Amino acid sequence: MNDLIDKLGECVEFGKINQASPYPPTMKGMPGADELTKEALEAGFSPQMILNEALIPAMNRVGNKFTEGKIFVPQMLLSAKAMNSAMKHLKPYFQNGEIRRKGVFIIGTVQGDLHDIGKNLTGMMVEGAGWEVIDLGTDVSAEKYIQALDEHPGAVCGMSALLTTTMSNMQPMIAAIREKHPGTKVIVGGAPLNAEFARQIGADAYGRDPQDDINWLDSIVA
Amino acid sequence: MTSRERVLAAIAHKEPDRVPVDMGATPSSGISAIAYSNLVKYLGRDDLPVQIYDVVQQLAQPDMSIIDRFGIDVLDIGRTFNTQPSDWHETVLANGDKAFYPVWFNPVLQPNGSYHCYDTDGKRLLAMMPKGATFFDQSYFPYVDGYPENYNGLDEEMGRVLWSRYVHSPWDHAADPGFWEQLRKNTLHLRETTDKALMIVCGCNLFEWGTFLRRMDNFLMDLLCEPDQVARVLDQLLERHLATLEKVCEAVGDIVDIIRFGDDLGMTTGPFMDPDTYKMLFKPRHKQLCDYVKSHSQMHTFIHSCGSISSLMPDLIDAGIEIFNPVQTNAVNMEPEFLKKEFGQDCTFWGGGVETVGTLNNGTPEQVREQVLQRLEIMSAGGGFIFNTVHNILPDVPPANIVAMFEAVKEFNGK
Repeated sequence: MNDLIDKLGECVEFGKINQASPYPPTMKGMPGADELTKEALEAGFSPQMILNEALIPAMNRVGNKFTEGKIFVPQMLLSAKAMNSAMKHLKPYFQNGEIRRKGVFIIGTVQGDLHDIGKNLTGMMVEGAGWEVIDLGTDVSAEKYIQALDEHPGAVCGMSALLTTTMSNMQPMIAAIREKHPGTKVIVGGAPLNAEFARQIGADAYGRDPQDDINWLDSIVA
Repeated sequence: MTSRERVLAAIAHKEPDRVPVDMGATPSSGISAIAYSNLVKYLGRDDLPVQIYDVVQQLAQPDMSIIDRFGIDVLDIGRTFNTQPSDWHETVLANGDKAFYPVWFNPVLQPNGSYHCYDTDGKRLLAMMPKGATFFDQSYFPYVDGYPENYNGLDEEMGRVLWSRYVHSPWDHAADPGFWEQLRKNTLHLRETTDKALMIVCGCNLFEWGTFLRRMDNFLMDLLCEPDQVARVLDQLLERHLATLEKVCEAVGDIVDIIRFGDDLGMTTGPFMDPDTYKMLFKPRHKQLCDYVKSHSQMHTFIHSCGSISSLMPDLIDAGIEIFNPVQTNAVNMEPEFLKKEFGQDCTFWGGGVETVGTLNNGTPEQVREQVLQRLEIMSAGGGFIFNTVHNILPDVPPANIVAMFEAVKEFNGK
C-alpha cells in the first residue's frame, strides 16, 4: 500500500485532524488527515480509493479498539473529527457520484429525548464506515423519519434513547414508520436498551456500540 | 440500633442489625415525581403533596410518613428548607397529576407542549423539557466555542447552567441572608428530632462541570488536546468548591454524617476516559476535596458516578472516596459479585440493590423480590452496603414494585 494512504489511515486512526492539531503529541507539527487527503487527491489517488483504502479501514480499527476497551470516547471523537476533515475534501465526489457509498443511514434520538452524545458518535462512525448519514437530531418524531425516508427510499433507520421513559416511544415509532415504508430496517441503541428489548419492539438489531451498528449495517448490504 | 448507628456501622464495615435503606436522601437515590405520585395514590395517601424539590430531574421529596413506613434510615438536610405551603406553587405532571414546584421555578409552556426556561433577559434559552419528557436538559453551554481568556465571569456563567440555576434545596436558598446560620439551625433541629443519618448533597463536580461549561463532546476531546486548559478550568472550579466546603464544614460538618459529591465518570460500556487521564487531571483534585472534608469535619465522603467505573475505583478510593453510588450493576465490569469481592473491603456501596432498568420498571413484584434478596445476599455481608435502587426510581416504575422492593428488604432483614 502507498505510503501516503498509510499515513492518512494513521492520522484517522490516532485522531490527527490537521497540522495545527496538538493531538497526538507524537505527531505534533506533522500534516494531519486534512492536509494528507488534499495531497492524495492532488497526487491522483481516486476519491473512492482514499475512502476504501484509508478512511474506512482506519475507522474500522478505531471502532474495534473502542469495543475492546483499548481506547475511550475522547480518542474516538478525535478520530471521527480527523475523518470529517478528510471527508470535506471528498464531498464534491459524493455529490457528482464519483464515490459510491454503501447506503443511506437515517439517525436520530427518539421523541421526548434530547440526549445525543451516543447518537452523534454513532453517526460519525457510520459515516466513516462509508455510509451516507442523515442526522435528524434529537426529539425526533416518526413523521420526521417518514419524511426522510420519502426522500431516501430504502434507507436504514437508527434510533437512540437514553431514558427508560423515552425508549418506550420506539415501538410505536417503528410501527408508524413501517406503515408508510414497509420493510424499513431499524437498528436501536442507547444506554438502557438491550438486544431482548430490541427484539420485543420489532427492531431488526440492537447496537451496543458504534462498531456493533457498523458490523450489522455492513452485513445487510453485503 | 438507631437508623444513624446502622448507617454508620455499615460505612465502618461492621455488620449492622439490619441492612440500612435509602430512598430520597440524594438526587441519585430518589424517586421521580410521577413514580412518587403513583406510589402515594397506591398507598391510599394521595392527600400527600407531590413536591418536586429537584426540578431538573423532576424528583419528589418523600414525605416523612413514607420514609418511616419503608424504614428509610437517612435524610437529606435539604428537606428542612421550603417547608411552608407558600414555598410551592402548583403544576401538572406529564401524566396529568397535580404536583408542586418551588415558587422560584416557572418554566414556560410552549405551543408544542415542551417547557422552556429562559435567562433573566427572557431570551437566552437555558433549559428545556420536550413534550412528554420527564427531565430538563441543558440548552446553554457557556464555553462551547472555547475557553475564556480569564475566569472573571465564571460565577455568572456557572449560574446560567441549569444544574446551578435550578438547584435543589438547600442550595436554592444559598443566596439568602443568613443562609449558613439557618442551615446549621435547621440541621441541629433535624438531629434533635430524628435518629436518622443525615446527608448533605454538595456536588463539587469537576469532570461534569467541564462538560456543563464546554459541552460533553468538546470537553472529552479537550482532555487530550488541551490538558493545560482543562487543568486551568479545573483549578478555578476546585477553588470555588473548596470555598463552599469550608462553609459547609463550618456550618454542619460536626452534625451531618455524609457529604455527597457528584461526578459521572462512566458510561455503560466503560469509563469516559482512560484511567491515566483520570489519574492526571481529576484524582489529585478529588483528593483535595476529600482531604479537606476529612480534616475539617466528621463527614464521610460519598460520590455519585454513573456507569462502568470499576477501573477508576482504585484511584477514587485512594483519593479518599468512601462511598459509591449508584452502583450501576448493569454496566460492563460492574457485576455485584465482582464489585463486592474486589472493593467490598475498601468502600461502601450505596445502591445496586435492584435494577431500575429491566427489573424494577418491567418485572413482576415477585421478580423484584427475587432480585432484591439476591443482591442483599451478595452485597450486605460484612457491612459496606446501604440498600438503594440503581439510581432514581423513574416514572415507569409501578408502585406495586416499589412496595415489593421494600417488603423484600424487610424479609431479608427479618431473617
